[in-house]
Amino acid sequence: MAETLLEVKDLKVHFNTPDGVVKAVDGVSFTLERGETLGIVGESGSGKSVTCLTALRLINLETAEVSGQVLFKGRDLLKLSNEELRKIRGKELSMIFQDPFACLHPLYRVGAQIDEAVRAHGDFSKADAKKRTLELLKAVGIPRPEERYRDYPHQYSGGMRQRAMIAMALVHNPDVLIADEPTTALDVTVQAQILELIEKVKEDFNIGVMLITHDLGVVADVSQKVMVMYAGRPVEIGTRDEVFAQPLHPYTWGLLDSIPAVDQKGKRLIPITGSPPSMIRVPQGCAFHPRCPHRFEPCDKERPDLMDRGGGHPEACHLTVEEKKKLWAQREASRTRAAS
Amino acid sequence: MGRYIVRRLLYVFLVVLVITLATFLIFFVMPPGDPVTAFSGRTPTPQILHAVEKQFGFDKPLYVQYGKFVKNIFFGDEFGWPGFGYSYVTRSPVREEIFGRIGVTLQLAVGAAIMWVIVGVSIGIVSALNRRKLVDRAAMGFALFGVSAPTFAVGLAALYIFWQQFHLLPGTGYIPLSENAGEFFSHMILPWSVLALSFAAFYARMVRGNLLEALGEDYIRTARAKGLSEKKVIGKHGLRASLTPIVTIFGLDFSLLLGGAVLTERVFNLPGLGALVVQSVARSDLPVILATTVIASLFVTVMTLVVDIIYGFLDPRVRYT
Amino acid sequence: MRSKRHLWVIALLMVLSLVAAACGGSDDTGSDTGNNNGGDTGTATKGGTIHWESEEFGFTNGFDPTGEYLGEAWGVLSNLMGRGLMGYQHLAGDEGNTTIPDLAAEDPKISDDGLTYTFTLRDGVKFGPPLSRDVTASDVEFAFRRIATESLVAQYQNYYVGTIKGLELGKDPGAGGIEGINVIDDKTIEFTLTKPTGDFLYRLAMPATFPMPEEVAGCFDKAGDYGRYVISSGPYMFEGSDKLDASSCKTLKPISGYDPTKQMILVRNPDYDQSTDEYRENNFDQFDHTINTNTNDIEQKVLSGESEFVLTPTPQTLRKYVQDPELKDLLHVEAGDRTWYITMNLNAPPMDDIHVRKAVNWVMDKDGLQRAWGGPTVGEIAGHIIPDTMLNGILDDYNPYGSADNTGDVEKAMEEMKLSKYDPNGDGKCDESPECQDMLEIGSNVPPNTDMLPIVEASLEKIGITLDAREVADAYTPIQTVERQIPLSIRPGWGKDYADSYTFVGFLFDGRNILCTGNTNYSLVGMQADKADECGVPYAGDIPSVDDAIDGCIPELGDARVQCWADLDKQLMEEVVPWVPYLDAAAVWGTSPAVSKWEFDQFSGTPAWSRVAVDSSLQK
Repeated sequence: MAETLLEVKDLKVHFNTPDGVVKAVDGVSFTLERGETLGIVGESGSGKSVTCLTALRLINLETAEVSGQVLFKGRDLLKLSNEELRKIRGKELSMIFQDPFACLHPLYRVGAQIDEAVRAHGDFSKADAKKRTLELLKAVGIPRPEERYRDYPHQYSGGMRQRAMIAMALVHNPDVLIADEPTTALDVTVQAQILELIEKVKEDFNIGVMLITHDLGVVADVSQKVMVMYAGRPVEIGTRDEVFAQPLHPYTWGLLDSIPAVDQKGKRLIPITGSPPSMIRVPQGCAFHPRCPHRFEPCDKERPDLMDRGGGHPEACHLTVEEKKKLWAQREASRTRAAS
Repeated sequence: MGRYIVRRLLYVFLVVLVITLATFLIFFVMPPGDPVTAFSGRTPTPQILHAVEKQFGFDKPLYVQYGKFVKNIFFGDEFGWPGFGYSYVTRSPVREEIFGRIGVTLQLAVGAAIMWVIVGVSIGIVSALNRRKLVDRAAMGFALFGVSAPTFAVGLAALYIFWQQFHLLPGTGYIPLSENAGEFFSHMILPWSVLALSFAAFYARMVRGNLLEALGEDYIRTARAKGLSEKKVIGKHGLRASLTPIVTIFGLDFSLLLGGAVLTERVFNLPGLGALVVQSVARSDLPVILATTVIASLFVTVMTLVVDIIYGFLDPRVRYT
Repeated sequence: MRSKRHLWVIALLMVLSLVAAACGGSDDTGSDTGNNNGGDTGTATKGGTIHWESEEFGFTNGFDPTGEYLGEAWGVLSNLMGRGLMGYQHLAGDEGNTTIPDLAAEDPKISDDGLTYTFTLRDGVKFGPPLSRDVTASDVEFAFRRIATESLVAQYQNYYVGTIKGLELGKDPGAGGIEGINVIDDKTIEFTLTKPTGDFLYRLAMPATFPMPEEVAGCFDKAGDYGRYVISSGPYMFEGSDKLDASSCKTLKPISGYDPTKQMILVRNPDYDQSTDEYRENNFDQFDHTINTNTNDIEQKVLSGESEFVLTPTPQTLRKYVQDPELKDLLHVEAGDRTWYITMNLNAPPMDDIHVRKAVNWVMDKDGLQRAWGGPTVGEIAGHIIPDTMLNGILDDYNPYGSADNTGDVEKAMEEMKLSKYDPNGDGKCDESPECQDMLEIGSNVPPNTDMLPIVEASLEKIGITLDAREVADAYTPIQTVERQIPLSIRPGWGKDYADSYTFVGFLFDGRNILCTGNTNYSLVGMQADKADECGVPYAGDIPSVDDAIDGCIPELGDARVQCWADLDKQLMEEVVPWVPYLDAAAVWGTSPAVSKWEFDQFSGTPAWSRVAVDSSLQK
């Protein structure tokens, strides 16, 4: 049994705004183990980013009500003092973000920013810090790191910036790396490289990775575990194979339909109809029911719990497993037909 | 970089030239009063008028007058370089008059600038970090007052309180630093404060806004995520980003002041360039008006260049092209 | 002479109404605030420093005596820094308007034909440092050579050019170059005039004629430059004069005591001999005249005893002076020898008709105009042209268009209007004539003109005249331009140069002095057809002239001369009617309690610096 690095229990994050309470995250639980990549998938606004940011307490706690637990190696991150938390951030628990340009300070040299991360923990001399920085720049595949060390972010390409961010995240060999949409802002070819890099880092450093993305395709490539989120709640959790072989939630089906898959050229992409709900007025019952083609009697009244209904992994849909299997098979068939 | 500076200096030269031409035309072609008759007494006989015209150089065609004016600026006149001619009113070389006053204006501007930067930036930071709290509201209330209170009224009120009522400070006037340092400071503290007030208020609002904006940036989140202390996150990453744009505004504000802080100088009876400008306009002292305009425009254009260069060092994204 | 005082006199307006109310209304003596005419003016204390702050110096010619035309400069020059052949006693009123020999040992010998004046110089009058030498007749001659030097722009050269034989504008005529000025020896100088000139001695009391040393003043050939190098022949001199290196023109550097943008400091002239001078008391040791751009500050310092003199206090400060019993005696309201008037253009319809002009005089609410100015403190209501002090009081009670309470006599005005060609229907109003409708009027755009306008409009409406009133920043330029044909202006005022009425009539009513632009005879009295032609305006015809009357008075002397001018004033008021004179303006000075002796210098309209004194123990 692998070591459990991160355990999130019934996390809720509610923001008080003038328009009402935004239930950005409304009851999320999951675990992350060493050597494992957890993919968290959902449309924008599904609460996946907030979940991660809350884990590191990077949201504005003055305007948010947070409940639940985020246990990192047994310690609840939500209860730590600022200083205790600071000691964990960037050392044991690192994070990289979506837009690598906005995330690097435009007025400081890239090398200096990584140096700073190095020296934030432990007693490093300037020279040592630089040595470590160069080591990592090299490790993440930045060519001629000695030169690039002195460059400013705007002199880097998008991919290189993300590599630099990853380097920065790895300076202290963290146990967990949280990657929030790390490839979204990048070109497709670069995306693959970055994902490969994250995969390699995970292998080399033997860490846990949380990969947040709206792209199931990305998850399919690198994750061992998948959590699909909708309207602040997980709707399906399982291993990659489980979820991809037999997805059990209509929302997951929608996501899968909208992936352009390389091996299924010509398949028509089917977007999910409708748009994500307002997080202030989440629909009653199953939050997905207004967009769900298979909704029926209880969907607009009772909220389905996240549980294993016999399909082999937890999901939150009122349909029976048999119905789900049937419907999924039909969808697969019609998609293939449409393509031929 | 070298080429950039040369090109920009050339540009400064052009701008100053255009400004001299505009000023020259405004004041020589459409003078607010007729300096010649004003200088000729009650019975301006044609002969006297002609003598004055000749002395002022008005007997020559306009382009000759302008040419001489520009030539004197660049190559100097009989009184030295730069040649600004001779004041109609005080009967002394304009350059002496200006050089005698530039120091006062400079001291006023520098002192006030130090005050307003320190006060404005600190208030802005404190305010931003205590957003929507009492401190913030009090600070922004002060800022609103400072921005909207007319310098003239504030100056008079300050004099009334600190000098006439409580005799805490001496009255108006200027005592050179070299003469008596204590007197210098006690005479300058009010003008500095009054001049600094509106700027401090403005800067406080600006710093607060910039800092709040910066603190919402992704790179601040990055800085936190990599385990930096709040002190470093705000004091280094936040401030650096929020203060950099202020350099530009500061440069412009400061250079404008060097052209003369008219109201403050008049209220506190400081013999600076601003007071000189007012006097000269009132007396149609064209050479002085022209010279101060040239000096002020030079300050602004050169300062803009300096700011742009400094900005290049502060913000690596800026390129000199 | 130029004066800055009207700028603030203006602001007195509210005060006096308040004062009047406070003092109980109609009591005439209540408004006689602090007037210290004659009598006991305090006990002089010796020593100390006088402080006088102004917003600006306002010199018209850089303080160079040859061209300087500002009253305050004349006050300093004639009291403290120079001794002309003739001078003044530096007193208020008639005494102050009478010339006495100063550099001259005694009054000159005047030839029977009145053309030759011979002066003997007093012994012991010296130029101060760095020259420290006797003043000679050549130094007086040199002053006239400077007046003749065109490039030095002697602003009142008209008193000498054309009067002294051979004195013409041009290059420096050199020693002996002016035919009418004869330096007989170091102590004797003789003037020969082109025509008898009764006020010639006044003209020799003007600062431009004060002796000037050629070795210093001769170094400057441009107007005003000598102002920073003035060598004193009086009891005080620029501080630092002794440091001036006068060995050659090249070594001259401006004297430190006078910085034209900051201050003028005078100290005692060690070469001055008090025994040569019976009229100057020279009480203080130092005189500081400083520029202070903050008016409020200037006045606060006087009230608190940090400074001693303020010219024309602002309304707020004036109120303090008037209401505070301790300050009351420190406000000095003196005769300003200045008349404010409404000018009417004799060549512009409907003002080309004397009956209209008389009607305007009858109907004008002068009481209202005085109130617009601020009430009695700013001056008495004028009934005629020349200020009373200059006519030795002969015309004190003369007011040909007087009315009850000075509010205008509508009945008489309408009677007069009926006689005019602009009132064909004889109803006492000229409203049927287009000339009387929307008649152009030019005034200033600041008080008191702006406050006067409604009163003038209301008055004129009673005789059927409506105005197209223009309020402009510079009202003088249009009314000084003949071509503009402005029928009426409420802007003008005129002050004396010296206490002879010639300084009024010579400029204001002499038809031969009319200039097409820059003209000071705004009413165009005595304009001839050819002048109208030259200036490009139609000639209204039959414009009355007083040229002969002026010429008749010029040679007169003494009382006969004053009577002659008084008669001319009457003639103007009754037969020419170019003006509506309404205010005989006062000069108002505020002093601090530290001023132990006050005296007013009638000639310059400033404190008599040579007689005032300060008590250092009361200074702060």
